[in-house]
Amino acid sequence: MAEQVIKPDLDFVKGVIAAGGDSLKKCYQCATCSVVCNVTPDKNPFPRKEMIWAQWGLKEKFQGNPDVWLCHQCNDCTAYCPRGAKPGEVLGAIRKQTISQYSSPGFLVNLVNNKKFMPFLFILPAILLAVVISATGNLGIPEGEIVFTKFMPVFPIQIVFTLALIFGVGVGIMGMKKFWADMKEANGVTSGDLKGSITGMLTELLSHEKFKECDVSRDRATSHLLVFYSFIALGIATALGVLYIDILHMESPFRFGYGTPIKIFGLVGAVTIIAGTFLMMSNRFKNAEKVGLGSYFEWHPIGLIGVIGVSGTLAWGTRVANMAGLAYPIYFIHLVGVLSLFLYLPFSKLAHIFYRGAALSFNKYSGREAAVQPAAETTAPAAGAGTESAHESEAESGQGEKTRE
Amino acid sequence: MEKKIGVYICKGCGIDEAVEVDKFEEVATKEMKAPVYKTHDALCSPEGLDLIKGDIEGEGVNTIVVTACSPRAKHKEFTFPGCVVERANIREFVAWTQEPRTEDTQALAEDYVRLGVSRAKSADLPEPFLLDETEMSVLVVGGGISGMTSALGAADAGYNVALVEKNDALGGWAGKMYKQLPQSYPFESIETPTIGATIDRVTSHDKIKVFTSSVVEKIAGVPGQYDVSIKTNGGSEQFKSGAVVMAAGWRPYDAGKLEHLGSSNPNVITNMQMEEIASAGKITRPSDGKEAKRVAFIQCAGSRDANHLPYCSSYCCLTSLKQAAYVREKNPDAMAYILYKDMRTPGQYELFYKSMQDDPGVMLTKGEVTGVSEAPGGNLFVSLKDSLLGEEIKIEADLVVLATGMVPNTKIEVEELAEWKAKFDEKLKASGGQPDPKAPLEPHKVPNILNLDYKQGPELPVLEEAYGFTDSNYICFQYESRRTGIYTAGSIRQPMHMLGSIEDGMGAGLKAIQIVEATKNGYSVHPRAWDQTYPEVNLQKCTSCKRCTEECPFSAIEEDEKGTPFHKMSRCRRCGTCLGSCPERVINFKDFSINMISTLFKDMDIPEEGMRIVALVCENDAYPALDAAAFNRIKINSAFRFIPVRCLGNLNLAWVADALSKGIDGMILLGCKFGENYQCHFVKGSELANERLGKVQETLGRLMLESERVKLVQLSIQDYDKLPDMLNEFADEIEEMEPNPFKEF
Ligand code: SF4
Ligand code: SF4
Ligand code: SF4
Repeated sequence: MAEQVIKPDLDFVKGVIAAGGDSLKKCYQCATCSVVCNVTPDKNPFPRKEMIWAQWGLKEKFQGNPDVWLCHQCNDCTAYCPRGAKPGEVLGAIRKQTISQYSSPGFLVNLVNNKKFMPFLFILPAILLAVVISATGNLGIPEGEIVFTKFMPVFPIQIVFTLALIFGVGVGIMGMKKFWADMKEANGVTSGDLKGSITGMLTELLSHEKFKECDVSRDRATSHLLVFYSFIALGIATALGVLYIDILHMESPFRFGYGTPIKIFGLVGAVTIIAGTFLMMSNRFKNAEKVGLGSYFEWHPIGLIGVIGVSGTLAWGTRVANMAGLAYPIYFIHLVGVLSLFLYLPFSKLAHIFYRGAALSFNKYSGREAAVQPAAETTAPAAGAGTESAHESEAESGQGEKTRE
Repeated sequence: MEKKIGVYICKGCGIDEAVEVDKFEEVATKEMKAPVYKTHDALCSPEGLDLIKGDIEGEGVNTIVVTACSPRAKHKEFTFPGCVVERANIREFVAWTQEPRTEDTQALAEDYVRLGVSRAKSADLPEPFLLDETEMSVLVVGGGISGMTSALGAADAGYNVALVEKNDALGGWAGKMYKQLPQSYPFESIETPTIGATIDRVTSHDKIKVFTSSVVEKIAGVPGQYDVSIKTNGGSEQFKSGAVVMAAGWRPYDAGKLEHLGSSNPNVITNMQMEEIASAGKITRPSDGKEAKRVAFIQCAGSRDANHLPYCSSYCCLTSLKQAAYVREKNPDAMAYILYKDMRTPGQYELFYKSMQDDPGVMLTKGEVTGVSEAPGGNLFVSLKDSLLGEEIKIEADLVVLATGMVPNTKIEVEELAEWKAKFDEKLKASGGQPDPKAPLEPHKVPNILNLDYKQGPELPVLEEAYGFTDSNYICFQYESRRTGIYTAGSIRQPMHMLGSIEDGMGAGLKAIQIVEATKNGYSVHPRAWDQTYPEVNLQKCTSCKRCTEECPFSAIEEDEKGTPFHKMSRCRRCGTCLGSCPERVINFKDFSINMISTLFKDMDIPEEGMRIVALVCENDAYPALDAAAFNRIKINSAFRFIPVRCLGNLNLAWVADALSKGIDGMILLGCKFGENYQCHFVKGSELANERLGKVQETLGRLMLESERVKLVQLSIQDYDKLPDMLNEFADEIEEMEPNPFKEF
């Protein structure tokens, strides 16, 4: 293989450190992490190689690198690293760097994930909503029975939130496409079974099968599962709402009586999301000693979802209790949270929905994952291994071989 | 001295359970004729000791045979001033290693009583050898950090010091550094050099006389009384010294030989050049003076490479880390790439490595540098394979630093040697001789550092196998050289960093003081520290064969004009190698002589039935190994009689003849490993014993006995668990032969 000229980039190193990978430099390349990791493939395993690439600031190595997204941040590596490097967090920080590479405009990534700009995350949607509400509804505490549509009518809600969602998801999908193309190029993969790999990925996702392989933070799979399904539940409930109100022009289903099943569905979703986020938080505290508390980048979505879940539930509770003075402001907070979530979806850690999804699919698409079974080895070169054959690059980086009982 | 022997038997520590102590009385008093015989339940207890002391005072006993534990135990307790003390070891050699209460065990123990009394009869009290005058001063050769530390150590302790430095200024390599490594905990950041303060202390010390631009022309004499001639800048000086520290330092490996690492490119520099550049200001590169923002360090440049320096130079990883630190300090945007085989940061410097590793601009990878080539703009590409970064890669750098290794100044380069040999041959031809290409270089070309006036050559022995570093007993006491009273310090001894040199320099300075004091009081230094005996020669019978002068490992024996050998006593380590070498048996110690050991064979009980094997046991490793086996209660064949010797170098072939002609079936010699990585405490002892055994056939042929009856075994202290098998194997071999026919006589 021709010699490749590497281009160390000090700013990239500093960027990863600033993004929460401050332990990055401690790594001395023993590869314990790659051995203990349960989700890494056997050939060319991560995160050892990512650690040194990042130490050297080889940012082009992360261009189209699916491996950093295969990592579920179980943090088994971090728990076992003899040098106190936290590969789990470092990979998280690198992921953040790749998000800014693919989700445009990239500067938003730095904005969203910078603690200093936290107020901004809420002020912008809040102003936006305030403007729309004062134009179309009643920016104040409406009189009489508490009905949130008095505060903000259904139609503007739907316009604002649909647009925000389209923006968020659109940016994410565009980034995902760019990422996909880069992965194909970087790994010399030209074709594969796209449908099969997406289905495979989704099946795995529904059961959180990969995530459950984590050791140290096994509980994280549960909390993630809870949040994941509650999102789906709430999504379905919302969709039904849209169906009832807009398409069937019926009354809103969210009330007891004729809408009881849907209402319950929504409530259960809300309770689950609160429980899920609570679990996520407590897990992080529980494992803090072994793997660290985590960075702002990681706490941001947990916090945000928590706020949304709690405010949504409280809004309902205060409404039922007829506490107008509280119900409307809380409802407003809830709306701001959801809008913030939609708008910044592809720029926050939640962008993993797109990129991890893409990487997991690509892993199947390229045949890298199947490399565990020798027969599949010949079907496609391993990812992250340059352009020639997988065998050659593995032989060269002898440490790349992963041994596991 | 009229001897009155007292035999004291201890019954403690399991002895009473193993043997019938009462039966010893007959052996001690009737057979061996000891006038006083007593037993005690615990001889080392205050009451037991009082028993002996009472006899010394009341009965006039002055020769004591302590029949108890190993001489390596209870030394303090069983010391009786003014008395000869012999130790018969029936605890380790009998009670702890034999079947209790058998006939063989009893016979063995009784034999040890005989041998103890026999030895006591032959031994005399030592009279220390004293010089008429001892110089309480130290000569230090080399004014680098090691030498200066030695000088300060000795001077601060009150001894006069002469410090000789060949350059015009003190400081050595440490004086050329832009920054130094951290010297103390937390070992995190580089420091401004402190060498200036050390130099100031040395030059202003009223006990240190500094000679710069000077070399040692000659060192004559002995420890305690060296006459040193110093050639100064345009003159000469004399100095009387008691001991010498040689801290002649090192030189960087010649980068000219590292063409494969691009050394001919102006922008490929050595780590020493890097110090110069850094001292001048910004890190610029030689070719165009441009600031270097990407500096690549190639580790092990020449070191750990069979074609260059086969060893690790131990300082260069640290030096590159240090230089990376100042590259980054001088320009926070600069990057340092360290390309290593392994990072080796001895001792606490792991902490420094960690702290440097934390710097984002210091990038490290393992890998094999396959070449350095030119890149556009005067830059360089360093090619790397098998790197941790994965593929075969090239790194572009503005400047490449070769972390070159250390060569001791005692090392003669091959080229130098060839040149010298050519001149030597020429001279030989001119004088009518014919150079023999196969002949060894004789006299060897040696470094020109100490110029000792010694029979065995002017410099400290340098072992080729040790890559030109001075020879020392690497395993057991690295600080001793093979010339008593001369200590090596710093990188002349082994590659080391500055902190190591400081420690080493201090150690050598203190060793130098130690020998001055030992010489003054007439006792030996390591490994026979405190020994006051010394070899005494009966010159009337000496045939001037000079074997002893050649074999003494420490060049302690010189010859007078007539060729008669004489001992330079304070150079002597009391190993007794000369005792073994002398065919006329004229070299003996007060408490250890050829005759003493031969008499043991006479006094031993050699029955017609039953095998008897004598083991001569080196006191340094083999004896402790036997003790260790005993502590572990490992059973040992009861045919063996263990006789301690100072060193296997004591082996005199007369002993073999005497033992076997008395009917002893076999003789085994237990000593230290010899050869390239010798462990023999006296360097050559076991090797010489082995050589002498080469001639044993001659001796045994006269007796019509098989030479296989004598065998030498090399072992070290940790081999104690293998000892029983070694011994049994030998016993089996002897068993297979006929019993020694001399038994019947
Ligand atoms: S376990 Fe830690 S030190 Fe070892 S390779 Fe992984 S990150 Fe580096
Ligand atoms: S110290 Fe480092 S660079 Fe020097 S020889 Fe040893 S391993 Fe090589
Ligand atoms: S051989 Fe040993 S005992 Fe004899 S003179 Fe030399 S050092 Fe002393």
